[in-house]
Amino acid sequence: MYDVVVVGQGLSGLLSAIWAGEQGKKVALVSKGTGKLLQSTGFMDFYGKKPATEMTKEAVDKFKQLMTKLNLPYLGDFGSKVSVVTGSGYLKETILYPETVVPVPDSGRVLVVGFTEIADFQPAFVKGNLERERPELVVDTLTVSLEQKSLRTMTQLDAARLLDKKENRAKVLKQIKAQMQKRNLGQPELYIFPASLGIENWRTVLQEFSVELGAPVTEAPGMPPNAPAVRLFESLRKAAIRMGTRFYSDTEVIGSHVEENLVRSLKIQTSNHTTEIIGRTYIIAAGGVLGGGHVMTAQGLKDTVLGLETDAYGQYSVCPENVLLVGASRGTKELHCGITGGVSAIQSSYESVLSLTK
Amino acid sequence: MHNTLYPKPSFDQCIKCNACVIDCPVSNVSLDFGGPKHLGPELKRLIENNEYIDDSRIDLCTLCGNCDLSCPENVQVSTLLAFSKEAHAEIAGTKFRDFVLANAETVGKLASVFAPITNLALKMKPVRKIMEGVMGLDSERLFPSYRFKNFNRIYKKKTANTKRKVAYYAGCYATYNAPEIAEAFVKVMEYNGIEVAKPDQKCCGIPMFANGQMKQGKKNAEYNINSFLEYTRQGYDVVVTCTSCTLALKKEYIMYLQSEGAHELARHVYDADEYLRMLHAEGELNTNFAEMNVKAGYYAPCHMKSQGIGNPAMDILSLIPGYEITDVAAGCCGQCGTYGFKKEKQDISLSIGKSMAEAVEEVNADYTVTECGMCKNALDQLTSKKTIHPMIVLAEAYEKAEKRS
Repeated sequence: MYDVVVVGQGLSGLLSAIWAGEQGKKVALVSKGTGKLLQSTGFMDFYGKKPATEMTKEAVDKFKQLMTKLNLPYLGDFGSKVSVVTGSGYLKETILYPETVVPVPDSGRVLVVGFTEIADFQPAFVKGNLERERPELVVDTLTVSLEQKSLRTMTQLDAARLLDKKENRAKVLKQIKAQMQKRNLGQPELYIFPASLGIENWRTVLQEFSVELGAPVTEAPGMPPNAPAVRLFESLRKAAIRMGTRFYSDTEVIGSHVEENLVRSLKIQTSNHTTEIIGRTYIIAAGGVLGGGHVMTAQGLKDTVLGLETDAYGQYSVCPENVLLVGASRGTKELHCGITGGVSAIQSSYESVLSLTK
Repeated sequence: MHNTLYPKPSFDQCIKCNACVIDCPVSNVSLDFGGPKHLGPELKRLIENNEYIDDSRIDLCTLCGNCDLSCPENVQVSTLLAFSKEAHAEIAGTKFRDFVLANAETVGKLASVFAPITNLALKMKPVRKIMEGVMGLDSERLFPSYRFKNFNRIYKKKTANTKRKVAYYAGCYATYNAPEIAEAFVKVMEYNGIEVAKPDQKCCGIPMFANGQMKQGKKNAEYNINSFLEYTRQGYDVVVTCTSCTLALKKEYIMYLQSEGAHELARHVYDADEYLRMLHAEGELNTNFAEMNVKAGYYAPCHMKSQGIGNPAMDILSLIPGYEITDVAAGCCGQCGTYGFKKEKQDISLSIGKSMAEAVEEVNADYTVTECGMCKNALDQLTSKKTIHPMIVLAEAYEKAEKRS
């Protein structure tokens, strides 16, 4: 019924669906829920055990092209890692990052701005760790209020959605300027915010903040949900749907029918019944232990998708010919802790979809 | 005192990852809502084997079910939310307005008897203002109109004698507000040589569940289960044209009743387009459609997405020559059944609908196709496009083809 059946709605699954759709394939995406992309930073790191290749570069370029088309451009290049600050003040190395992010300078002055309502981002804590990481950096902090009554504990995502609105941005900017003046803080080279610089209107937030504050601003991702991850997920999902990918949501793959080393169908369970979904090729993007594609047992990793035998690293002992493994589904022989970090997900999705044309 | 039954898998699988909060249409526009995670699995953990805590924030939940779609751990969040709604209604009481809205079927029956008057009155600003003042019904939100010649008056067939037999669950909307959908469905089935029976049926219960009227909703559920099992046991397939009713029959009866009957019935239930797609896969679908040359947008109702059936309306409509259809990729419409009629929920409802409207305008198709009557209500009000049920399109494609030959 479908040319390609993708299992999993994380970065690997969505990219595979989009790229297969670009080739004119009829694609179904089966998932029991959203992928772990939503709990990520939204940055693309390299966690592969094998060194990067030409193919890695090609895939990364392809990803950047896609994101530019989706109006959510990514910066950074393969081969040059950059240091970005996280919500705890520690630095992490990354390859690709959204336009809302600026790498941390080695020296000079930065200002960490927290929101009273966002407990997960504490400027003093960021300052302490960042100063240890970058001894030549002068770190100032201040906290402003989003001035919103909330009946729940607010997250970075709530702050991001508030900052989508002009009136909230104005309130925040006014407070920052007032506090800087009152405390006589020097002009920083970079403002560090929690990962919450808007969702739909991130471009406006970025522009307005950097112009009004007179220096670049950056997002420091921490406790999920991080705005860059939410933007990435929502734009990929929208792109996949608009391209005609058929989403089988709240649907669990509970096994497969394999004949002559070919998967003939996947057994799927929805709320009302158990049925089958048929494709020519199956792309397994169900993640590792974290994503739920593998479970850890005393004998090592076991697969939860096709119900086939795996080695202790989660790789199929005999992989059916029409099955392509992407992302963390490839097992821990290729990835540290079975986490793709982003770049490995991009590369394996790209490689798999390329192989469809062959 | 309050329902603590919960079907597997357990809420304990919740790892507090926030996926449901990110995808919750209400959480995304309002800080007054506790959010599905907080009012679902977290609250359940807190009260398990403990004193019950009533949380009034549950009132803002629409029961759209997006939390279930997004949960990677398979926690049935919306079921927990529905039980919280039930408990809240019992503890805090039910407004007269919510009681009326929950009884959409009774309203439909009465309104359709006096249809010309009701429709006129519902369109009059002073009347709507009074309804707002007295009942808390929002005066800006338009109501769907009612039909005197409702489907119950038109269609009384109780048995089918073809090889494939369909037991049609019409639902309140296609019965009282838009019988042309029900008639189009019967016609589409006729073109496929399938007779349609309409078993005795009551409102599916969705408006009751959403308003915390769980007991009454379950009563309706029992009634429908018993009535339709008589048919499925004789080889009928249950087919539904409203995606919310379909979800009730496929999932919610199982979750709320956890009875054998609910499970048995659910296995025989199909969304109308899903049924046609199945016929197509079996090589039984009549594909003699006239060419249409339409560029349509498709709006996927939340309760369609919840069924895990892909996108059968688009699959079927794409079989019509010249018919191009694109999913506008929008989220919730904000109408959410009876929710959008309530005055105090108007800001939330319209904020949710805003991004839906933007998606529809962005795709800029000739018209929008959707299965859900309540989504249509929001689409009609918030977008510049006409909204059509897929069965109406299909019936037209068949009729045109027949006339031509």
